[in-house]
Parts: sequence; structure tokens; C-alpha cells
Amino acid sequence: MLVLPALVFYSMVYLYPLSRLGAWSFFDNGFTLRFYAELFTEPTYFKALSNTLEISTLATVVCLLLGYPLAYLMATTSSSARRILMILVLVPFWTSVLVRTFAWIVILGNNGLVNRALVATGMADHPLKLLFNMIGVQIGMVHVLLPFMVFPLYGVMSRIDASVVRVARSLGATPTRAFLAVFLPLSLPGVAAGCVLVFLLAIGFYVTPALLGGPGEITLATMIDMMINTLLNWGLAATLGILLLVVVGIIFIVFSRLMGLNRLTGAGGEPAR
Amino acid sequence: MSDARPSPGRLALWTVCVALLAFLIAPILVIIITSFNASLYLEFPPHGLSLRWYANFFSSAHWIEPTLLSIRVALITMISATILGTAAAIGIVRGRFRAKRGLELFFISPMVVPIVVLALGLYFTFSGYHLLDTPLALALGHTVIATPIVIVIVMAALRVTDPSMELAARSLGATYWRALWFVTIPSIKAAILSGAAFAFLISFDEVVVAIFVGGPDATTLPKRMWETIRFEIDPTLTAISSLLTLVAVFILVGVELIRRAAAVDSEAS
Repeated sequence: MLVLPALVFYSMVYLYPLSRLGAWSFFDNGFTLRFYAELFTEPTYFKALSNTLEISTLATVVCLLLGYPLAYLMATTSSSARRILMILVLVPFWTSVLVRTFAWIVILGNNGLVNRALVATGMADHPLKLLFNMIGVQIGMVHVLLPFMVFPLYGVMSRIDASVVRVARSLGATPTRAFLAVFLPLSLPGVAAGCVLVFLLAIGFYVTPALLGGPGEITLATMIDMMINTLLNWGLAATLGILLLVVVGIIFIVFSRLMGLNRLTGAGGEPAR
Repeated sequence: MSDARPSPGRLALWTVCVALLAFLIAPILVIIITSFNASLYLEFPPHGLSLRWYANFFSSAHWIEPTLLSIRVALITMISATILGTAAAIGIVRGRFRAKRGLELFFISPMVVPIVVLALGLYFTFSGYHLLDTPLALALGHTVIATPIVIVIVMAALRVTDPSMELAARSLGATYWRALWFVTIPSIKAAILSGAAFAFLISFDEVVVAIFVGGPDATTLPKRMWETIRFEIDPTLTAISSLLTLVAVFILVGVELIRRAAAVDSEAS
């Protein structure tokens, strides 16, 4: 009975609005598939889709490579050091995405901190283009998404029994071998959860690609904005939204069937602990 | 815990992680330092210190009006998301009905639905009811985004509390609602307050729904910032960014204090 208010609210302000996307994408003075036909024949939209997948895949891989060592350190260090590490991840995590994206514009611009340092030290003879291209998008996205990789990884790693690794060591395994043969396989559920979460968030990302990307980094999300605010094509905007929703839905459902939902939601609940 | 003498591998790990943390924190520090810059250009390190950008923010209606709207919307969102989310969490964890897992999945799903897709759906919906460009539309949209975090936090707290206390209250003659109000709710007070604080912050910082369903009559602070960033780089943005970071830190500290107070409480009882 207590779930009823939320159920009613979700139906009206969540499910119904999402269903409107379906309506706009299939109807245009009667049932039509022309928006979907356009979506799959017009190269611009295919480009937006492939851009989205490319940006998201790259961001996920970078987040994994960077997030794994950080989570590993958090899981294996003393509890006082862990607290400090956790705070240093949580503060940026809860800082507005818009603020952080703006900060990167200031830092990566032609006259920004990074370029001035590069030119001053002679590492570059003219300012490098770090904004409004793939580099800018990746830096901004990895910055926002890295904590979403670290939390599920840390969640799994902190539950790995340290004595298992110690047993491997005492049986003669080198530290590297003990890590590769024992710790790494046990941490794989965290890797899967982190990658899925980061990828899911990355494909729907709007603020960072819109502000740090250039014309070459148009994604499905920025394309939707363009359809609504510039081209006024509601039908195509809806169709792009459905496409995004279907991709996210498939990944979410497959993952929650395979792994259980708790691993994903553990990431959201982490800051509260 | 670890060896007294760190191994080379351990040292390398620390070096990598310190660099990563610097990457995470640096943008925030750079913005805060730049916000005290006296000159008209965004410079780092600053040329002369001043509070002019803060003064500019607090003295211009261009910035203060959206800020007040953001606070109003965030407060409404906080209240509605906390009530809906807490009730739903209790219903799922304590209730006995089929499809609990499915319902949980459904309630949490807005967390992974791209906000731009939700914002588009809300745009279509609200335009049909003349709700576009109103504070109500913003609060409704933000509540959808904020409720799942309340649900997740409160459910986690409920799963570690002992339902036998509620059963005891019921068997002593308390009605279902009295047991809920006097036993269940107090035992998860800290989680509810934390959820409320995060709901406020999520709404206060939210920009995508604000861009789609807001307008000239309902412009939140993040929407005004967004418009400004796209057309010019106004140094006032650095002062606002620093203040927004301060709000986030303030809320994180608040949540931590709530958590500690609750831990002391539960030890005392």
C-alpha cells in the first residue's frame, strides 16, 4: 500500500512521458514508420549513434584502467587512509557536472592552465587543441564517470577475503601471480558492474559532450537537443530518444538478470554510507 | 595492516592513485582559486585578489533570481521525493506481495534512463498541459530523478534494521500506522534525512530537465549558467561554481554528521 503514491507518481511523470516518445515517433497524421526509416538511412544519425558508442566505449575503458588501481588501493589500505581517499572521490562526485565541465573549459582552453604550462616549459611550441574535440570530451567524461567505476569496484574488492591472497603468497606465489590468479578473478563482478554502469551513463550523457565536444562529437543526446531546440523536429527527436532508451534498456535488463540489481544500485547508495 | 616498508609495487600504486586524485580534485581547486581573480579575464594563477565576482553574483538580479528559483524547486523536490521514496522503500522492504523485485527495479530505473530522454518526454507531456516554463514542471521532473536515490538509501537502512521491533509494537496493540510512525520511521531517520539532503542537491544542480522544460519564466541557476557558458565566458561563473561546490561539500558534511549522530544513538539505546 505504501508503494501506491510512488507508483501513481511514476506512472504520470515517468512512464507516461516516456510513452509520449513512442507516440511521437510512430505517429504523424496516422501511424508511420518514416522517422525510423529516416533514422536508419540518413548517415547523420548513424554517425551520431556510432559517435555515441565510440565515445562511451572509450570512456568506459579509460575509467576501468584508472579506476581499478584506485579501488584496489582503497580496498587494501588502512581504514584511515581509505577515509581520506573516499572523501577525495566523493567531493568531486557530488560537485555539479556543469561546474566540473566549466572548470575543464577554463583549464583546457588555448589560454588555459595546461596549454600555458606546455608552452612555457617548451613541451609544445603553440597551444594544443584540447577542447571541442574528442580529447576534451574524454577528459570531461572520464572525470565525471570515474567515481561510478570506483564505487562498484571497491564494493566488490572490499569483500574479497585478504587471507585468500595471503594463502596464495604463503604457497609460494609471487605478489604478481597471487594478484593475477586470485585477486583479479574475484574482482571481476565489480569490473562488470562498473563497466556496465559507466557505459549506461555515458551513452545518455548530454552536458559534457555538448560543452566540450565539437561538430565531430555529435552524440544521440546532443542530436536530440538539436532536434527540439533548433530543427523543431519532434518526431525525429522522439525516435532518437526511443533508440537511446532501447539500447539502455537492453543493457540494463540483461545485466540485472545476470548479475543482480544490487551491484548497480550499490553504486548509487555508496555516498550515503 | 600493510607492510612497514612499502614494496616498490605498492609505491607505484600510491603514485598512480595520488595522480588520479589530483586529476579528480584539480578542476575544483582551479575554479575556486580563479574565482578570486581581480582581472576581467580568466587567469590562473590570478592577477591580484578580489571578491568582485562574488559581489557581482550577489548584486545582480540576472543571477539571484534563478538562484532563488533553484532553491524553491529544490525544496519542493526534496519534500516530495523524500515522502514518495521513503514510503515506497518501506512498502518494498516490509511488504509481502509478489513482484517486489520487479517493482524495485522499476522504481530505481530512472537512475539509468538517460536524463535527456526523460527530459524530452517531460517536454512533450508538459507542453500538452501548458506546464512548460513553470516551477511546477521543474519540480515534477526533478522529483523523478531524485526519488530513486531516496529509495536506495532508505531501503539499505531498512534492510539492516530489525523488523521484530515493529512486530512487537503491533502485538502490543499499536495500529499499523502507529507502528510505522513511532517505530519504523525513527529507526531509519538518518537515512531519510540523508536521502532528503541528496534529493535537494540533485535538484539544485540539475541542468538537463531545466533546459528542456524551463524557459524565460522559469530559469534555474544551472540553466542560466549553461546559457552563459555557451555564449561567453563570464568570470562570475567561477564564483558561482565555487559556491555550488561549497553547497555540495556542506551537504556531504551534513550527511556525515547525521550518520555519526545516528551511530551514537543506536549505540546508546
